[in-house]
Amino acid sequence: MPTTTHIDGFGPLSMTTPTTTAELAQVVRAAAAGSTALYPVGGGTKLALGTPPTRSGQAVSMHGLARIIDFPARDMTVTVEAGITIRELRDTLAREKLRLPIDVAHADRATLGGIIAANTSGPRRYGFGTLRDYVIGISALNDEGNEFKAGGRVVKNVAGYDICKLLTGSLGTLGIITQVTLKLRPLAEEQAIISLACDADKVEQILANLHGSRTRPICLDLLNRLAARRVFEQAHLPVPDAAWVLLVGYEGNADAVSWQVQQLVKEVGILAKLEARVDFTAQPLWDALVEFADRPGDELVLKSSMLPSAVATFCLNADRDGAALRAHAANGIVYGHWSADATLDCAAETLKRWRESSGTIITRCHSEWKRTLDVWGPPRNDAWLMREVKAKFDPKNIFNPGRFVAGI
Amino acid sequence: MTSAATTATAPKLADRMRAIVGPTNVLASPSDLVVYECDGFTIEKNKPDVVVFPTSTEQIVAIVKACGELGVPFVPRGAGTSLAGGCLPIGGGVMIALTRMKRILEVNYRDRYAIIEPGVVNLWLTNHIKPNGYHFAPDPSSQGACTIGGNVATNSGGPHTLKYGVTVNHVLGVELVLPDGRVVQTGGPHEDNPGYDLTGVIVGSEGTFGVATKAWVRITRNPEAYRTLLGVFESVDDATNTISEIIGAGIIPGALELLDSLILQAVEAAFRFGFPLDAGAVLIMEVDGLDAGLDQDAERIVEIAKRNNAREVRRANTEAERLLLWKSRKQAFGAVGRLAPSYCTQDGVVPRTKLPEILRFIRAVGTKYNIRIANVFHAGDGNIHPILLFDERDADQVKRVLGASHEILDECIRLGGSVTGEHGIGVEKIDFMPKLFSPEDLAMMVRLRSAFNPENRCSPQKMLPTAGACIEQSKAGRHAAM
Ligand SMILES: Cc1cc2nc3c(=O)[nH]c(=O)nc-3n(C[C@H](O)[C@H](O)[C@H](O)COP(=O)(O)OP(=O)(O)OC[C@H]3O[C@@H](n4cnc5c(N)ncnc54)[C@H](O)[C@@H]3O)c2cc1C
Ligand SMILES: Cc1cc2nc3c(=O)[nH]c(=O)nc-3n(C[C@H](O)[C@H](O)[C@H](O)COP(=O)(O)OP(=O)(O)OC[C@H]3O[C@@H](n4cnc5c(N)ncnc54)[C@H](O)[C@@H]3O)c2cc1C
Repeated sequence: MPTTTHIDGFGPLSMTTPTTTAELAQVVRAAAAGSTALYPVGGGTKLALGTPPTRSGQAVSMHGLARIIDFPARDMTVTVEAGITIRELRDTLAREKLRLPIDVAHADRATLGGIIAANTSGPRRYGFGTLRDYVIGISALNDEGNEFKAGGRVVKNVAGYDICKLLTGSLGTLGIITQVTLKLRPLAEEQAIISLACDADKVEQILANLHGSRTRPICLDLLNRLAARRVFEQAHLPVPDAAWVLLVGYEGNADAVSWQVQQLVKEVGILAKLEARVDFTAQPLWDALVEFADRPGDELVLKSSMLPSAVATFCLNADRDGAALRAHAANGIVYGHWSADATLDCAAETLKRWRESSGTIITRCHSEWKRTLDVWGPPRNDAWLMREVKAKFDPKNIFNPGRFVAGI
Repeated sequence: MTSAATTATAPKLADRMRAIVGPTNVLASPSDLVVYECDGFTIEKNKPDVVVFPTSTEQIVAIVKACGELGVPFVPRGAGTSLAGGCLPIGGGVMIALTRMKRILEVNYRDRYAIIEPGVVNLWLTNHIKPNGYHFAPDPSSQGACTIGGNVATNSGGPHTLKYGVTVNHVLGVELVLPDGRVVQTGGPHEDNPGYDLTGVIVGSEGTFGVATKAWVRITRNPEAYRTLLGVFESVDDATNTISEIIGAGIIPGALELLDSLILQAVEAAFRFGFPLDAGAVLIMEVDGLDAGLDQDAERIVEIAKRNNAREVRRANTEAERLLLWKSRKQAFGAVGRLAPSYCTQDGVVPRTKLPEILRFIRAVGTKYNIRIANVFHAGDGNIHPILLFDERDADQVKRVLGASHEILDECIRLGGSVTGEHGIGVEKIDFMPKLFSPEDLAMMVRLRSAFNPENRCSPQKMLPTAGACIEQSKAGRHAAM
């Protein structure tokens, strides 16, 4: 059944849904022959990422390629097709008490290929890293419609170049990811999340204390008042009445988690109002924290990278900009979310200011705004080498052309 | 295609190099060059025309530009501990030795990174930051000698990779001099720089993309405590089942090392730890992290080991006992010298649950070729290191060792694994690449290399097979390893 879709305001594009790699290969070959563009679509939850398309072409839904190929649970790896939804993957792994410890909003729609292409991450990245640490094998279709692979199915392997890393975060510009092998982690036996409500003048002190803490948090998310309200309301919990809320997460065996909760109270108890949620009572807050990444009401979302030590100052300054602010504080990543009241002028002005002290990109805004706003920011000094890699992988420029950094 | 310097051009090449780095930083006499004709892989040898010891990125830029003008190849070299022939100067040319670029440029504890020059020895960094309770997580057994530049190039592992990951998981950015002399910085101390993860592909590129002149690496806090257990098993199968069950129970130990009976004899003779000589295998099982959770994990490990017929499970009760245990493990290779005049260590990987199968296979191959094979390896990762014992003065034994090695690696592939978990492809395993990868896969790897190293003047004929570059191996090296 032929369908059409729009991508980031561009379209209509006809969309095809191949159900085998061979069918997908035909689609790629046809595009290559006509030098028309190909736009891979996973769950479609993040198609607005990047610069809007400008070249006519074809959208390709990955939903038909969603099989589980091999799940040797005792080896703690899984090989699946890229169109599988994160929900299905998660449920499959959970049956063997395993998981991919990457936080993904809208798990019932987002696909594995989509989160790898977009390099999705969330609050647990402090404890568990990002997708580059878990993708150990990958297959993709190249510009000629031929499938190629890199890595393998074992957790330790240095044979050949690690093209898994290159495709992770490539936003679909180097080929269409068809199959992935992941390294897995056990589900945590116990979890806890502690909220620390405090005033502005305590934020840096608490973060510095936590940096040297005897405990080993796996999440250190800092929320301003607006963000805290959204997260706690979503979790159906009373909203802490404070300018800033720090959410500290722990996972591990029961002894380790309960010791850490008590230890944290000792270490920072006098600096903030603490509230601990352990085991299943922590779940709603975890879920809300993950889903906060992508809320329906958001009109503008900026993402900034900086050193972790700069986060407190940055956030305190940015608090005036009217955004719901959330930082993965120990990773130096800050997100600002604006809802309906955002204007283009205001966005341009904020973007300029944020870029003075951080690397900032736009992860969501109106498609029309992107005519004025620079989505990716100034190219870094390795942009030419990225273009070189793109030119070697996709000489006809058919995969998501023009959507990524540096005109890639 | 580039060619080696001839007797006519070599002096000119050396002069060019002296002009760039000064006469004290150049070696060109045949007797000096002998040291550089091979690395830890000694089967293939070839002298470079000249060895240069630059002290700055600018000098390296000038060196590679000169190589370009003169049309000679070059190869980077760290400490030369590669076990795969990564430093072999195929076609001669210039060897760029990075051992004089050895400064730790910055350590930032608050933001948990360090910036180092490539010649910094792995253990120096850890020793430097130890007083503050930090370490550099990748810990190859060669860490007292190998350089971080070499670790970055080979994506090194070590006993602690099961829990902490390999080198690539700890590298945030790289400064690289490309073969045409352009300098690029990929990544850096900030996370999530937009664009391709070029750092991720530079790590593990085995010196074929350019010369790494700086690296931003993550530093890791030391674990608060350890529990170290020694499980004694009647059979290798019981030991490997224990490994799978520990991990299946959701426990990720800091290290899980297996020693079989042959290696136990050597180690016991050397260190007198008190290993039972009649055991089929022992497992060193160490959990680390917060003191609070460790007893719970340790108790479960003991339970699992007992359930899998462990004859006994001992605990290292003091730090001294723990250190002796680790010493026995880490110096196991030294002890192998007691078993045979020569030995050759292989590096293969199988899915963890295939360990019993591959170990049975190794035993059978040993019998078939009449070669004794000892095993001591990172069992938690499925990364095997069979040590083939022989006498290199006996040509027939050498041939049998090579035959046995190849059969073992082929079996790793058949079981769904890989021919190298940490030592790399280099020149040693180049013939296995077409067995692991299809022509399409290899073609994409060539495309990637051509973005960095289009003329293949940097480390030519490494990692990726090229038509007609097949190496005939007739001698097995006396490798130290693992
Ligand atoms: C710069 C950036 C910022 C982000 N910020 C946020 C954020 O603030 N909050 C948040 O929750 N998430 C964020 N993400 C994460 C991410 O957008 C989504 O979680 C993920 O993309 C959802 O998957 P999907 O299947 O819906 O992908 P889609 O929305 O369908 O596709 C996303 C992108 O991946 C490509 N793609 C999809 N499938 C494939 C495939 N098989 N092969 C190749 N390419 C493919 C698409 O062409 C598209 O460019 C961000 C990602 C990026 C790159
Ligand atoms: C006793 C012993 C034990 C070992 N144990 C382990 C182990 O546990 N785990 C493990 O992974 N390996 C191990 N190895 C292998 C070896 O030590 C590692 O591969 C190590 O990372 C090599 O570092 P090096 O400085 O000696 O590099 P070299 O041997 O000098 O070079 C290795 C490769 O890297 C390239 N290279 C070096 N420096 C640079 C640079 N700055 N820029 C670009 N390319 C460069 C070279 O061209 C070559 O291809 C062991 C070796 C020995 C001898």
